[in-house]
Amino acid sequence: MEVKCPVCNKQRNSSMKIARHIFGTGDKSHRGWVNSQGVSFTDLLIAQAMEAGNRGFTTLAEIIERVQETA
Amino acid sequence: MNNDKHTVVGKRIPNVDGYEKVTGSAKYTIDMVLPNMLHGKILRSPHPHARIVRIDTRRAEQLPGVKIVLTGKDTLGRKNGIWRSYRELCDEEILCRDKVRYVGDAVATLAATQEDIAEEALSLIDVEYEILPAVFNPLDAMKEGAPEIHDGCERNMNVYRQIEWGDVEEAFEDCDHIREDTFYCSSQAHACLETHCAIASFSHDRKLTLWTSSQSPYYTQVLLSDMLGLREGDIKVLKPHTGGGFGGKLSLDSAQYCTSLLSMKLMRPVKIVLSRAEEFAATKRRTPIHYQLKLGAKRDGTLLAKKVRAITEGGAYTALGGTALYLTGFFSSFPYKYPNFQYDGFRVYTNNEATSACRGFGAPQANFVSESQVDMMAEDLGIDPVEIRRKNGMTPHHEIPDQAVIQSCGLQQCLDAIKKYIRKRGELPPNHGIGVSAYGFMSGGIFNWIDTPYAFSAAMVKINVDGKVDLFTGATDVGQGSNTTLTMICAEELGVHLEDITLHVGDTSVCPVDLGAWGSRQTLMSGNAVKMAAAEAKRQLLEVACYYLKPNIVYDLNIKDHWIHFTERPYRRVSYFDVVKDAIRGKEGNPILGYGHYTPHGKGMVSPAYSFGVQAVEVKVDTETGQVDLVHITTAHECGKVINPIGLEGQVEGASIMAAGWTLTEDMQTRDGKIINDNFRDYKLLLAEDVPKMTLLEVDTYEPEGPYGAKEAGEGLTIPTGAAIANAIYNAVGVRIKDMPITPEKVLRALEKKAAEEKDSEQFVAAASA
Repeated sequence: MEVKCPVCNKQRNSSMKIARHIFGTGDKSHRGWVNSQGVSFTDLLIAQAMEAGNRGFTTLAEIIERVQETA
Repeated sequence: MNNDKHTVVGKRIPNVDGYEKVTGSAKYTIDMVLPNMLHGKILRSPHPHARIVRIDTRRAEQLPGVKIVLTGKDTLGRKNGIWRSYRELCDEEILCRDKVRYVGDAVATLAATQEDIAEEALSLIDVEYEILPAVFNPLDAMKEGAPEIHDGCERNMNVYRQIEWGDVEEAFEDCDHIREDTFYCSSQAHACLETHCAIASFSHDRKLTLWTSSQSPYYTQVLLSDMLGLREGDIKVLKPHTGGGFGGKLSLDSAQYCTSLLSMKLMRPVKIVLSRAEEFAATKRRTPIHYQLKLGAKRDGTLLAKKVRAITEGGAYTALGGTALYLTGFFSSFPYKYPNFQYDGFRVYTNNEATSACRGFGAPQANFVSESQVDMMAEDLGIDPVEIRRKNGMTPHHEIPDQAVIQSCGLQQCLDAIKKYIRKRGELPPNHGIGVSAYGFMSGGIFNWIDTPYAFSAAMVKINVDGKVDLFTGATDVGQGSNTTLTMICAEELGVHLEDITLHVGDTSVCPVDLGAWGSRQTLMSGNAVKMAAAEAKRQLLEVACYYLKPNIVYDLNIKDHWIHFTERPYRRVSYFDVVKDAIRGKEGNPILGYGHYTPHGKGMVSPAYSFGVQAVEVKVDTETGQVDLVHITTAHECGKVINPIGLEGQVEGASIMAAGWTLTEDMQTRDGKIINDNFRDYKLLLAEDVPKMTLLEVDTYEPEGPYGAKEAGEGLTIPTGAAIANAIYNAVGVRIKDMPITPEKVLRALEKKAAEEKDSEQFVAAASA
């Protein structure tokens, strides 16, 4: 299944990869979109850095999926 | 390649500046004195994190001999940084205005007639600080509620970098064996023999001349121009001989900036030489990194997937840390063909001295952890450590998705050479072990940090009426021997003798732009520029020679030993000197000029070429004390065509020992942000008596992108030693140290733990069998 970045429309084959793309790009517009979803870009990035597993990125991947479903 | 084709390249040529250096007549910035010169000093913060409430300079200004005292308020308030396209990463004021962020941050600078007066005056500057809470560990700095070091930088997250190809999660499901390990790589001081120093002289025509110890006069010129509000052309940077750089003299430093500020105010030359303590405290250092690694393999040793998470301690400013963060990720995949790879790197501000480039630029850290883990994987799977490397090692024309294309690669030959050496070494004495590590490194980086429109390297060759050649290059010799390498390339291409060439370097007003000495770039990038310039000048001579020799169009001409001749019939020839004279006459009396340049295009994200190698280190471990002695270091390094074997040997020896010191003894110890071993008595560099015998095994390859097939042989040699030592210790006494530096205490503790575990195991077996 193709998933689109809600900010720049970049396509990847999973929401997790789009989540990584959003963090990797990290510019003002991508950062702003994440913050507008009721979560903090920085908090999620730091969760990814400090915690075992992938909580930071999976949280954003779930948001991306939700947004794609409702679009 | 047929070595016989070359008359200069490949020969053992002593350094062109060797005589001056050996006899002590070479002049370094630190040696220089100008007429009417003042001596400057810099007042540094004793606090790791504090707001500057007030600076009272009156008492210092009243001291006889003091000419001026400047603070951040006397600057344009601009922030320094090499990432000019990303202003948020230009975060260092150099002379702080409102806040200090580490012990050593500069708060004031002054100039006086004598150095001791300047020193005394520093103690008369009264600074009132409001002490702020500080944080020294990146893991703490990311926590909620940690002190904010830069306003608006949430939880001190400075830079995040990621690299990915394939699908690691899917691939781990297909693995027969997975290892997860954590490692820590410690910091390292550059420890240049010549400390940072500069002499600035601002004249009444509003032009600034700066003599300085630098790895890149061009970067210094550009960054100073930004900070001082001068045009680049109004700043001339001169680089005398340089007493080492190792990454620490790449960006603008406090000596260069403060001397310039002071001289601009006073219209007199001002000199600042950092003390050894300042050198430790305030000139950046190697990046310490916490790693989490997950490595998956098939039962036959095929490495299927690797996942790397790195948290780097950034210290107070960005400096070149963003690149170290990226490169430690990129080189975590080296030198293997991982089909699936994922890297996440996090750089975090702390209230320590900033971390930045240091010989190897993040790659030695990546190699220490990766090559330790590959050895552990080999043991888990029961595979010979050389064979697991051979099975997965890079080969020519390997493509790293979205990152790089490897053209030449002699890794397999290096593995063969090292395996042969180990076999020949035979059985080792008790408590001896040999460890191996395989590596690769870039031949110059494709990173245009400062967004220059100039070529990355450029050169000009001028042939004069007497046949003598002037070679102008902006390349920077910081002791690695690039002056010799580039002179050799010019002589080879032009067909003249080394003594025919006068090299002009280290002057931004006359030398073409070159990005300088970093990322092992001079041989390939500057070498290509010099080769092109020499070829262009030679072409002009051969055009004229054709009138004399009238060759059939199918014949080529060449220059050798001051004769221009048919390549295949050397006896049909004309004097080089006659042709030079006629060529100049034909140009209305102008000398023959050749220009060359090099900028990598279409070569991926990182580098136009990569060197490879394998190192084997033999150690002896004293099980009573934990002391590790180096017995022998053997390196098979393939760097394409070797331009100067003496230069290569020097780099192998110097780099290996620098890396061994980082691994075993060098430890920047801090208390509340202050480096407490800021001298060469307490900071333990390896000494001459610690240096083992070293052997360099020759491996021939040819790199199509490099001049005469050459690629890097500098920083890359710092990479393998850490892991090779760790693996050797394990092979000697069975303990695995994953936390650098590998001190005798750590080895001893690990041996005690191992002994206790073995005893427990014996007791368990005894109890079970009873």
